[in-house]
Amino acid sequence: MGSTIAEKILGAHAGGTAARAGEVVVASVDFAMVHDARAANALEVIGKFGARSLPFAAKTAFVLDHYSPPPNAEAANTHTAMREFAERHGTVLYDVGDGICHQVLPEGGHLTCGDLVAGTDTHCTTYGAFNAFGTGVEGTDVSAVMMTGRLWFRVPETIQVELRGELQPGVWAKDVTLHMLGRLGAEGANYRVLEYGGSAVGAMAIDDRMTLCNHAAELGAKAAILEADAKTFAWLKAHGAREPRPVKADADAIYAQRIDIDASQLPPQVARRHQIDDVVGVPEVKGRKINIALIGTCTNGRLDDIRQAAAILKGRRIAKGVRMIVTPASRQVYLAAAREGLIEALTMAGASVEAAGCGTCVNITGHLISGDNEVVISSANRNFKGRLGNSSSEIWIGSAATVAASALTGSITDPRDVEGGQWRAVV
Amino acid sequence: MTTVICGRARVLGADINTDVNCSSKYMPGKDAAFVATCAFEQIAPGFAQAFKKGDVIVAGKHFGINSSREQAVHVMRLMGVSGIVAVSFGRQFFRNAINNGLPVIECDIDGIADKDAIEVDLAAGRVSVAARGIVRSVPPLPPEIQAILAASGLIPFLQKHPDWKLV
Ligand code: SF4
Repeated sequence: MGSTIAEKILGAHAGGTAARAGEVVVASVDFAMVHDARAANALEVIGKFGARSLPFAAKTAFVLDHYSPPPNAEAANTHTAMREFAERHGTVLYDVGDGICHQVLPEGGHLTCGDLVAGTDTHCTTYGAFNAFGTGVEGTDVSAVMMTGRLWFRVPETIQVELRGELQPGVWAKDVTLHMLGRLGAEGANYRVLEYGGSAVGAMAIDDRMTLCNHAAELGAKAAILEADAKTFAWLKAHGAREPRPVKADADAIYAQRIDIDASQLPPQVARRHQIDDVVGVPEVKGRKINIALIGTCTNGRLDDIRQAAAILKGRRIAKGVRMIVTPASRQVYLAAAREGLIEALTMAGASVEAAGCGTCVNITGHLISGDNEVVISSANRNFKGRLGNSSSEIWIGSAATVAASALTGSITDPRDVEGGQWRAVV
Repeated sequence: MTTVICGRARVLGADINTDVNCSSKYMPGKDAAFVATCAFEQIAPGFAQAFKKGDVIVAGKHFGINSSREQAVHVMRLMGVSGIVAVSFGRQFFRNAINNGLPVIECDIDGIADKDAIEVDLAAGRVSVAARGIVRSVPPLPPEIQAILAASGLIPFLQKHPDWKLV
């Protein structure tokens, strides 16, 4: 009986061969992460241990990304505590402005193919873009990892998703994940792993693959995983990652469900206000007026997203009355975008560019509070009522291409209809 | 911890979002003790006030959805919840419950009414409501999870068993 990628990775880390879905295993973790929004809880749990040693704290990263910059003294004090802890225990520290956890971990070379990574955030699924099993946990879990390097896991069932054909220019991994949300519903993959494969995945650049795996969190997935290929190995090598241990599923692996999508037929998608699984094709809602356009977050704040936005907006102006904010996912992304002239192009087009971090994903920093009845189009991953601090405004979710095209015209726009909207990542 | 829980069933619906109802996430500045006095108020007015220590929460699918916050479980511990029987659980909530010593059992809840006397046998994998003739067997919790629950949670478990010897 064959095994899925998840069964193999968890089994191997539990000291055996493949584990079976449904089993509970205690597995060695390769790297752990705690971000500032959950650090207080983690530090409190660790505090309960007294002075126990934390041998795995050096294989853990603390990332100051949500409260970036800290909006109040409590958050600033959490940052201070995190810096002190990191200093004392040799924990890897990413400070304010360094970037979002899910971007800085891969960029920092902290993970590789075949790894098991646990962090205090549901979007840890992102690491699956590198053929690693990344999953979100809480303070007690990471405390256990820092103490012992191990953690218990229930081995999840897997849904296999085949993306046939190739995405049209102007259509992105974001549109695939929104389509999946419309199809399965939010939490439709609760507790399961999504194994994406097929020619459309092979054709994607790494940035887009990260989006594909990141957004699995809204489906409730425990992880999302892709097979590794030459692009994966080259990217990991360029970022100083450890030697990859690529893991493939067996041909006779057992899947809980199989989903087949013809990627070439997919138009750009948007999630309508308040509900991430209320998804329609952009052509169905185009022309709807928007007030604020956001590009950023761990879902779509990467270099290719910013390149796509600049391809649409370079030499032009965003529509009158529209506010646009671009938040690069990390300092490295910011620097690369600056070097390519993208920051200048977007700034001249009327966008404001913020320091790297979670930015305006959620109303933590208070940077962007929308007015009553204002309509936000965002490349983020969540659009609960009130997520940006005003429940009388609306958040619609689309790809960076859709957001940039909409900023240009002032209403929801199909990127395929504007010049530059069919830009493609060079892979 | 005994492996048999007896208490009153307190029934909630499906898709209960404990972020909204039962953690401080949407009540910033409020501590767990305060939230415990008004947990689930929005979906079941008066629920927390009428909750008695030892009661068992019975709920539909996806209980604890969205909640990655351990505070939701801390709140339920403060309320005196002795266990939760639900059709299914939000992924992280399930972990948090076990890590904090709160038994969670997946089981069909059809026919169980509010305030029914319910009995949950964790080791045997059985949920019963004698008054209604309901006896349902469910896959027992894996022994590893039972070991963590028996220690009242992951941290106390690791204090006793730093080698992770679960069973
Ligand atoms: S960018 Fe948004 S979704 Fe991603 S880790 Fe930050 S707050 Fe969470």
